[in-house]
Amino acid sequence: MRRAWHGIVDFVVGDEPWIAVAVVLLVAAAALGAQLGDDAWWILPAGVPAALWISLVRARRATERQRSS
Amino acid sequence: MTGNLLVFLGAALASAVEMVETLTIVLALGVSRGWRAPLQGAAAALAVLVVLIAALGSTLEAIPLDLLRLVVGTLLLVFGLQWLRKAILRASGLKALHDEDEAYAAEIAAAEAADRPAAGLDRYAFVISFKSTLLEGLEVAFIVITLGANQGATAIAAAGAVVAFVVVVGIGAAVRHPLSRVPENTLKLVVGLMLTSFGTFWAGEGVGLDWPGGDAALAVLIVLTAAWSWAFIRLLAREPRTVAA
Repeated sequence: MRRAWHGIVDFVVGDEPWIAVAVVLLVAAAALGAQLGDDAWWILPAGVPAALWISLVRARRATERQRSS
Repeated sequence: MTGNLLVFLGAALASAVEMVETLTIVLALGVSRGWRAPLQGAAAALAVLVVLIAALGSTLEAIPLDLLRLVVGTLLLVFGLQWLRKAILRASGLKALHDEDEAYAAEIAAAEAADRPAAGLDRYAFVISFKSTLLEGLEVAFIVITLGANQGATAIAAAGAVVAFVVVVGIGAAVRHPLSRVPENTLKLVVGLMLTSFGTFWAGEGVGLDWPGGDAALAVLIVLTAAWSWAFIRLLAREPRTVAA
C-alpha cells in the first residue's frame, strides 16, 4: 500500500516537489481571493510562471554546481 | 467546439510523444529477440490502459464539475508544469535532449545480453514491453482522462490518443526504425503549454474565479504561457553551460 502511494506521488509530483507545493499554495491563494470576493483571477496566471521560473533557476544552479565539482 | 479541438490536440500530441518512446523499446526488443513476446506485452498493457480509461473516465464525469475542475485542474497544472520544465531545460541546453537512436542502441544491447528461453514465451521481452508500454501509457491515460472528464469529452480525448497510436505505430511498422526525426522536445513543450493552460483555467474555475472573457480566457492563457515559456528558454540559453543528463 505504501509502495503504491509512493508510486502515485512520484508519478504526479515527479522529480521536482517544489512545483507541486507551489501549485497547491497558488490554488489555495486563488480560492481565498475568490472567497473574499476579490478580483483574484490574476493570481494563477501571475503565480504559475513565477513558480516555474524559481524551479528553473534552481535547476540551473544545480547544473552549475555539478560542473564546478 | 474550440475547447474540444484543444482537448483532441492535447491528447493526440501527448500520446504521440509517449508512443514514440514506447515504440523505440518495442522495436528494439522485436528486432533483437523476435516479435511475438514484445507485441504480446504491448497488447496486454494497452488492454489494461483501455479498461483504466473507460472505467475512470466515466466515473470522473459523474463528479460535480466544480470539484472535478479543482482537483483535476490542480493535478493537470502540476503535471503540465513538470512537462514544461523538462522541455524548457532541454530547449535551453541545461538538460540533454532525449535521443531515440541512443535509447534504441542501449535497448538492443540490453536485450541481446539477456538470457533467452529454449522454448515458450520470452519472458524478458514480454515484461520489458509490458512495463514500458504501461508506464508511458499511464501518462497518456492520465492526460486523456483529465482533459476529457473536465471538458465532458472523454471520447474526444480518447480519439486523439487513438489517432496518435495509429499514426505512430503505422509509421513505426513501415520504417522499422525509431522515429528519431520526430521533434520530441518541441512536442513535449507544446503539450506542457496546453496542460499548464488547461490546468490554470480549470483550477481557477474550480475555486470560483471569474475569468475575464469567460471561456475565451483559455486561449489567452495558452498564448501567455507560450510567451513566458519562450522568454524563459531565451533567458536560460543566454550563457553556454555544461549539459547535464
